[in-house]
Parts: sequence; structure tokens; C-alpha cells
Amino acid sequence: MTKVKMELKEKIVASYVAFENDVDINSEIHDIRTEAFQNFEKLGFPTKKLEAWKYTSLNSVLKNDFSIFPNKENAIEFADVKKYFIHDIDTYKVVFIDGKYSSFLSDTTHDGKDVCLMSSALSKPKYKSVIKKYFNKIAKQDNLTSLNTAFTNEGAYIYIPKNVEVEKPIQIINFTTGNDVATMIQPRNLVVVEENAHVQIIERHQSLTDNAVLTNSVTEIFSAKNATVDYYKIQNDKDNASLVDNTFIEQKTNSVVSVHTFSFGGNITRNNLNFYQRGEHIDSILKGITIIEGKQHVDHHTLVHHIEPNCESHQDYKGIFDARSTGVFNGKVIVEKEAQKTNAYQQNNNVLVSDKATINAKPQLEIFADDVKCSHGCTIGQLDEDALFYMQQRGIPKKEGKALLMYAFANTVLESVKIPEVKQRINKLIATKLGVHIGFDL
Amino acid sequence: MSKYTEEDLEQELKTKEYEYGFYTDIESETFAKGLNEDVVRAISKKKNEPQWMTDWRIEAFRVWEKMEEPDWANVKYPKPDFQGIAYYSAPKQKPKLNSLDEVDPDLLETFKKLGISLEEQKRLANVAVDIVIDSVSVATTFKKTLGEKGIIFMPISEAIQEHPELVRKHLGTVVPTSDNFYAALNSAVFSDGSFCYIPKGVKCPMELSTYFRINEGGTGQFERTLVVADKGSYVSYLEGCTAPSRDENQLHAAVVELIALDDAEIKYSTVQNWYPGDADGKGGVFNFVTKRGICETNAKISWTQVETGSAVTWKYPSCILKGNNSVGEFYSIAVTNHHQQADTGTKMIHLGKNTKSTIISKGISAGKSQNSYRGLVHVGARAENARNFSQCDSLLMGNACGAHTFPYIEAKNKSAQIEHEATTSKIGEDQLFYCNQRGIDTEKAIALIVNGFSKEVLNKLPMEFAVEAQKLLEISLEGSVG
Amino acid sequence: MLKINNLHASIDDKSILKGLNIEVKAGEIHAIMGPNGAGKSTLANIIAGKEEYEVTDGIIELDGEDISELAPEERAHNGVFLSFQYPVEIPGVSVTNFIKTAINETRKAKGLEDMPAKDMLKMIREKSELLEIDRKFLSRSLNEGFSGGEKKRNEIFQMAMLEPKLAILDETDSGLDIDALRIVANGVNKLKSKDNAVIVITHYQRLLDYIVPDFVHVLHDGKIVKTGDASLALELEAKGYDWIKKELV
Ligand SMILES: Nc1ncnc2c1ncn2[C@@H]1O[C@H](COP(=O)(O)OP(=O)(O)OP(=O)(O)O)[C@@H](O)[C@H]1O
Ligand SMILES: [Mg+2]
Repeated sequence: MTKVKMELKEKIVASYVAFENDVDINSEIHDIRTEAFQNFEKLGFPTKKLEAWKYTSLNSVLKNDFSIFPNKENAIEFADVKKYFIHDIDTYKVVFIDGKYSSFLSDTTHDGKDVCLMSSALSKPKYKSVIKKYFNKIAKQDNLTSLNTAFTNEGAYIYIPKNVEVEKPIQIINFTTGNDVATMIQPRNLVVVEENAHVQIIERHQSLTDNAVLTNSVTEIFSAKNATVDYYKIQNDKDNASLVDNTFIEQKTNSVVSVHTFSFGGNITRNNLNFYQRGEHIDSILKGITIIEGKQHVDHHTLVHHIEPNCESHQDYKGIFDARSTGVFNGKVIVEKEAQKTNAYQQNNNVLVSDKATINAKPQLEIFADDVKCSHGCTIGQLDEDALFYMQQRGIPKKEGKALLMYAFANTVLESVKIPEVKQRINKLIATKLGVHIGFDL
Repeated sequence: MSKYTEEDLEQELKTKEYEYGFYTDIESETFAKGLNEDVVRAISKKKNEPQWMTDWRIEAFRVWEKMEEPDWANVKYPKPDFQGIAYYSAPKQKPKLNSLDEVDPDLLETFKKLGISLEEQKRLANVAVDIVIDSVSVATTFKKTLGEKGIIFMPISEAIQEHPELVRKHLGTVVPTSDNFYAALNSAVFSDGSFCYIPKGVKCPMELSTYFRINEGGTGQFERTLVVADKGSYVSYLEGCTAPSRDENQLHAAVVELIALDDAEIKYSTVQNWYPGDADGKGGVFNFVTKRGICETNAKISWTQVETGSAVTWKYPSCILKGNNSVGEFYSIAVTNHHQQADTGTKMIHLGKNTKSTIISKGISAGKSQNSYRGLVHVGARAENARNFSQCDSLLMGNACGAHTFPYIEAKNKSAQIEHEATTSKIGEDQLFYCNQRGIDTEKAIALIVNGFSKEVLNKLPMEFAVEAQKLLEISLEGSVG
Repeated sequence: MLKINNLHASIDDKSILKGLNIEVKAGEIHAIMGPNGAGKSTLANIIAGKEEYEVTDGIIELDGEDISELAPEERAHNGVFLSFQYPVEIPGVSVTNFIKTAINETRKAKGLEDMPAKDMLKMIREKSELLEIDRKFLSRSLNEGFSGGEKKRNEIFQMAMLEPKLAILDETDSGLDIDALRIVANGVNKLKSKDNAVIVITHYQRLLDYIVPDFVHVLHDGKIVKTGDASLALELEAKGYDWIKKELV
């Protein structure tokens, strides 16, 4: 087992030289890459021995023989993948196929804002100051983030200048075609939202194959004063596609950032979502719905770091686990001594539908300030039998009744979704997941 | 200005020294410092132990040697030098006591200072006292009454001699020698402690009580407690501690094992007030305790603790709910002040069907202290209909302390129902004003509010203990900022 | 007994009381009325010594002594009682335990021994009967989960127990049902003597039907703008405040 893991690590380490061949080693960020590479070389892949990975093991995924740089340019027809887009509204699109930019499927812009590619942002002088100021400034120096940083090359680059309200949502989609037996991709996104600006982003990772996929994605989001960012992550991937999503968010005074994570599929999904509040009157919103089955495994690992006074955070994660699936919720709230008058709420509610499903939860509070309101609640339970009976008595079949109850259970999370089309889509996904066809009207 | 300001409070807090800081001068016979197999053998020999006991200790020592001191707890402290500790000390003259008159006058004086003198204790209804001073018992009372019911309550060293079959059968079955670093160390070198056996169907008619003290300078203390409640029996066991003030860190690594057989119930209550170190965080006891109980069918174990002392506390009284319908409870108040650090909580391991557990934890942090709750609720795949309710509340006083909550929840059975809630708060200005308006000064108001905050847990203590605990809460928070 | 002269007070630099005068003598009952936000509760809180408010000018005397430097509990020991408009909840502390502590702390301040438990129980029995309070209620946590009316009744119960010299009742009538209003008012009347005084803050005449004031004051924009006898309250009930505001211009 450990032998196998060494191999992937060795393969990655060995291919770094090849990677360096393809990128500009004189660029600003090359030192960052090199340092991150050394860090990964030292740390290797995470194991269950690390407290942060106590409940999630990547071993089964890491034993695949991943190709690290898919060489071929792969094309796909829009018609074949249309269903993976939120296609009923106009959006900007930044689309990648096997880690390479697809200009054919994308719709980028430089009109008063930049919605484009990381690769060009890293190489063109025009973007130099933004890259210098923001790139890799809040990403953690842990194993997998370092690995991503070392191989940073492609991803979405989004820059919204002061006072700009982006008129339509931006979709970031990573497709994998499975032309290689096992594909590993490492998208790197940077989102900078300046003062008073507003942007909505929808992110999706989608495998088009049954071959193994491992995505190790890193996204850094900077939200300046009074800015608003709404970020939606749709995770409904194939059974053999695993995802480690590392998202880091820094907020300044009066900004509001919300991240909704909808996890309905995939093999192993690990969401590392980190909020750092650097200013007052900040609101951070972290919400998630997880509905999984089979042997799927979803791990939400959140951190909200309250550094300054008068800020809020709201976490609400709901999970429904069927078959042999496993859910993990590890939510940490840190309130620093200076962060007086913090209001931090955390809710994590879970339903186990099957005898073989497992849920592990670890909601933590670390509090160093006294004038704060912090609470967390965590429940594991079943659907309300009385409510179910009541519905059956009124003629609703048990299956639909259950679905309705589960829908109601998850609904609090949907309430804060601001794009109606996304809400509808998630609704449909929930209906499909629950295996019923009743009109889930909003 | 007659106003009592926060600064005044803080000042008072600083000057508030350890109430029971004194040192009893009883001549002791102490082993040279250091630990190796020979020392372990010597301890066993000194105590005239049978071969199986010696072997058991040696095995534990060998396991311990290979282990590393754990560092996952949310506490920071200078690692003890395990070779700098003397592992055995006993009062030189071991008095045979029939009445209090025969007790060492110094010792009596000590207990008087504690406000829990034997006279007072004796007067308290139904309390038998087994005093452990340092590591060897020097007094046991009420033996006769208990004897009539067939209840065995004696120092574990005596039990090893008099009831070897019972001790051998149960010792180490709940906390195996290899369980953790401190448990292994304790198994190798424990000097004494209490043994208690309640026969089938017997309800122990009185609260069993032990007062532990750490006394000899530089001597770590390693008690071992084993309580066995046979089928259908009931016992309430009280444990309370305090220690003399001194500059040197003192290590304490006790092991408590509870065994509740079918339909039995054990109530185990602790009031812990060891020397927490001075206002600058110097000195104080390191308290690394392993406490665990196992419940067979329909059995119940209830842990109640009031923790106000020690510089560093590392303690998780736990229940293995093995039998169907068994019940585990944990009620805890942990107060930290000055530089104290506490990492405490419980583990509820649900293995049997219809098992139930309740966790109520109240943490109060003041001064520069750090107070952590760490708990595990585990529901195994076969534990149908397991229920857990956990409530962890923290109260912060002042802005230099920390309150932390680290609950682990693991459920592998769909019928499990688990509810965990945690809140953090401070004493409200409006609450203080309301009390002030009714003529209650700020300090008294804080005591009142803290008492209210801790009520659910205080209520679980036996009467005579509740009074003492309430007093302790007040003492340990005296002068804290609201 | 109470003499307030030219009182100015503010909070967060917002000025609320702007030169308020009032004098209350032993044996008197004063009613203070006035529109929402006029500063009635502020006045009550300042008399009781709440620190949030900054007294920028004026004097407050109790029995001829300046009390503005006294802590809230010292004022309470001197006989000032405030029945709060919004009484706070103190979880885990029973009404009985709370009142016992309050009484004994006040006695301590006066150099008296704790009240013997026997006397305390007797007093609790008497006063709870006077106010028709179910004694089961007294073992509940202070104000926690109490209904609005229960909170108010509990305030008056505490007043009865503490036997204050000067009682300030801040909208004690709001939230009380018709029977409770009568019971509470009767309680207040029974406790009334020539040696103590009561300030009633209220919006409605119905309380004043029971507790008949010697003086009625109208507090508007931080000042007492009109003072009259009991008939002023009736006039206000009929006409509202507008006519007074107009008179001012
Ligand atoms: N703590 C505070 N912070 C800010 N403003 C305050 C505070 N307390 C009172 N105020 C303001 O002072 C003014 C007077 O308030 P107060 O409560 O004294 O009014 P009131 O006359 O009692 O009104 P009501 O009849 O509604 O009870 C109001 O405008 C109120 O908003
Ligand atoms: Mg008011």
C-alpha cells in the first residue's frame, strides 16, 4: 500500500523537471512554484495519521496510474456536454478539457473586467501587478495545496475592478475526457473582486468517462471592501472521479461572501473551505447539501477565522447518506482575542438512510474573545416517522413522503441561492437523487 | 470612588493565592529517583505482591518504555522528566487506626485546614472515609458496616493480598496496560488506591469516599482505583482531592476502572482541587488521568466531575456501553483561571442496542487560562437505536482566556440519534446591572450567575459534595472579571 | 426624598435627557408619562445607576445626599428599587435563591446578620400570598421562559421582599392581564406608607385607576414639560400628547 503511494509521489516529483520545461521559469511565480514543490516533496500525500485527514483516506485513489500531463488536445461537442452547463441563462464561461483551455466552449471577456485564463495572466505583463499582489497569498502550505501550487499553470483568472457589478454569472467548468487511463488535473483559479464590486460564479468538475480522475483544485478569492461574491460549487461527478477542492477566501470590511457546495456524486470528494476575515462587519456564508449513495465519500472541512471585531459567519450543512456512503463534516471556527462581538453560527444535520452508511462529524470552536455569540449544533438522526405517517395517511406514498421530508430537510440551504436557474437545477438534482418525480416548485 | 472596577477585580484575582497551600511534614520513606525494571520489581516486592502482580507490572513497564508521550491535547507544559521522579513513598510508621485519636496529629491538622476534617466527615451521615496520603492508605473506617453487606472497600494493595482472585479477574480489563502512555506508566508503578466490590443485588447504603492528597516533594502519585459492581448492585463513589502548594511540578497519573455488570449502577463523583500553580503559572499539578467504565446489559455508569484545580488537566472519563440498554452519563464543570489548562471531556462508545448517553459539559475560563472540551460519541454498526445528547457550554470571563470545543461524532448505524449543541457566552452587562440593582455586588453576582450556569451539573452531585463543590467554584473564580 | 435638578444625560454622544427636574417626597406617588422614546426608562436607569449613560450635568440627591458616585448596588442598599421594563433572564438561578442573596447582601451592607431561614421563608410565604403568586413559580430560573406578565409580577414580588424606600416601576403594567393588574396594583398600595415613595412610569390610565398618583408628569424630549394632578392622566388618555407638544411651540 505505502509502496504504491510512493510511486505516485515519485512519479510526480520526477515529472516536475518536465513541467518546468514547458513553463517560463523566469516568471515571478517560479520561486513560489519551486518552494511549493519542495514542500510537497517533504510532506507527500496526506495520510489518515494527520488529524485533518482522520476520516478520509486517499489511498484507494492514489494507487491509480495517473497521467500527470495529458498531452493531446481533446475536443468535445457542445451538444454532448450542454447538460453540464447552466445553459438556460447567459453566462461567461471559462472551460477546460483535461486541464487545457477550450476556446471553443468558452466565452471570456476583457470588457471592463477580466474573465480569462490563468496561463495568460501568469505570462502577460498586463496582469503582473495583480498576480504579484494576490497569487498564492492565502493558499495554505499544506500537502495538496503545495502540490497544486508547484504545478500551477492553468485555471480561471477573474478580476473585477472597483464598482463593477458583473451583469451575468461566470461558469468555470473542468471536463475530463478519460482519453488516458487515469487523469490527474490541477486547476488553479484566482478571483479578485475589488471594492464595491459584485460577482457570481458557478464552478463544476465533470468527468466524461468511467476512467479514474483525480482533481486537485485550488481557488483563491479576494473580496475587497463592500464587495459581494456568490460562489456555487456543483459536485455531481462520475463514480470514479475524485476531487480535492481547496478554496481560500480573504474578506475585507463590509464584504459578503457566500459559498454553496452541492455534493451529489463523485468517488471521494474533499472540500477544504477556508475563510479569513480581515476587516470589520464581514459576513461569511458557508452552506452545503450532500446527498450521496453507493460508496461515495464526501468530506467538508471548513475553517472560519474571525480575526477582527463585529463580524459574522453562518454555516449550514445538510447531509443525506444512503448505501455505503460516508459523510464527514469537520467545521472549525476560530475567534481571535481581538474579534469581539463576533457572531458565529454552525449547523450540521445529517440523516443516515441506510444501515451501512457512516457519518463522522467534528464541529470545533476555538474561542479567545469573551464578548461573542458562538454556537454549533450537530445532529444525526432519521426522518420524522410521525410526519411520514401523517403524509401516508393523506395519501402520499411513503417513497414520495420520504423525498418530501428530505427535501424539506435540505431546503434551508437552498433558500440563500440567488441565481434562480441554479436553484432549479439543484432542485432537479435533488429530485433525481431521491428517485422521485414530484414537482419541486420553488 | 466606591465603584468596584474590573481592574480592582483583576487585582484581587492576582493576589488570590491557593487556599490550601501548605505542606504536611510527615516522615517518608522514599525510593531514589528514576525508573527501570528493578524499580518496578522493588515496588512490587515492597508491597509483598504475588508473582502475577509483579509480572503484570513488568509487562506494563515494557509497553510503556516503547510508548511516546501523547501531544494531541490542547495543552502546553514542560514534559515531565520521568527519571527525575521517585516512584515510591510511604509514611514511615504505618499506624493501625481504630479511632481518630490514633491518626497522626499533623495529618489531622492538614484535614482541618482543608475544612474536611475527619471529625466533620464522620459526622456527615453515611460517609466512610478511606484516606490516601501519598501512596499508602493510613486510615480506613466504616469497614464493619460495609463488611456486613459483603461490600469490600479497601486499599487496592490490601485487596491484592486479601482478594487476589477478584482483583486479578478485573484489573486492566477496562483500561488495558497498553491503553495509553500514562495508563501504562500507572500500571507499572502504581503504589496504591482503592478497591471496591459490591456483591450481587446489594445497594451500598452509604456514599463511599476517598480523599487523595499529593504530599511528598518530587513524588509523582499513581493511584489505581477499581470499582466492581456485581449484577443488580448500586454504589455511589466520591473522590475529592487537594494538594499542598509547591514550586515544583507534580505529576499525577491515575487510572480508574469501573465495571458495572448486568443491571448494576455506578455513580462516580469527583471534586478536584489540586494546586493549580501560582498567579504566574508557576508550579501546579499535572493531572493525566485515565478513567473508564464498562457497562454490561441494563447497567448504568454516571461520571460527575467538578474540576477546579491542577495546572494541566488531561482527563476523559468514559463509558463503554457494551450491554444492551446500558446508559452512560457525563456531567462536568471545569473551571480554569490564571494559567491553568484543561483538556477534558468524555468518550461514549455505543456498542449495545438501545444504549443511551448524555453529556453535559460546562466550561468556565477566566484569567489567562485555556479550557477545552474534547469528546467522542461513537455509535457502532450494531448499536441499534443508540441515543446521545450532548450539550457543551462555555462561559468566558475576561479577554485573555480561551474556550474550545472539539467534539468527535461517529455514527455507523442509521437508527442512531445524536444531538450535539455547543454555546459560548459571557456574563451579560445587563445581568450584572440587574443583580446590582437588587443590591448584589458584582463579585457576588458573578458567583451567582456561574452557579446558575453550572446548576445542571451541581445537581448531579451527592448533597455533601455539592456544598463543597459550590464553595470551590466560588473560591476558584473569586475576583474574576465579568 | 429624591431630588433631581437640571439632569442632562447622553449615550454614545446622543443626548437623551436635557435638563430634567423632579422632586419626590416621602409618602408621595408620582406618575411619569410620555411618548415612546421620550427618555422615561433612561431616567429610571440613571437613578438606579446604570453606567452606560453619561450624566453630563445636574444632580441626583437621595435624602439630601448626592448619589451620582454610588454603585448600583449601593443605591439599592439605600433603598432604590427599579422594576425593569425588560427584566433579564439569569439561567439556573432560582427566584428564591436570587431574592435570598439580594436580601442578605443588602443586610450585610447595613451590618446586619443574614436573615434567618425561618424568617425568610415566612416572608416569602406572605409576599407571594399578597401577590397571589404560585410558590412553584419561585423555584424556577429567574425570568427564564417567564411570560411577559410573569416577569412583571416577579419584579413586584421582589419589590415586596426588598421593601424599598423609593420604588420606580417602569411600565410594570404592560403585559399584565386584567386580574394581574389589579393584584399587582393592590400589592403596591399595601406596601405604600408615609415613609416611602413610588414613581410609576406608564402609558395607560388603567394602572392609575388603582394606584392613584399625587402628581402626573409628562416627559417629552428629555424634559418634564407638564406637571399636574391625577386628572392630567385622564386628559392625556383622552387627547394624546399632540396638544402638549403644540403648547410647547
Ligand atoms: N443603550 C442605548 N443606546 C442607544 N440609544 C438608546 C439607548 N438607550 C436608550 N436610547 C435611546 O434614548 C431614547 C430614550 O429611550 P428610553 O428607553 O428612555 O425611552 P422611553 O421613554 O422609556 O420609551 P418607551 O415608552 O418606548 O419605553 C430613545 O430614542 C432610545 O432609542
Ligand atoms: Mg421605556
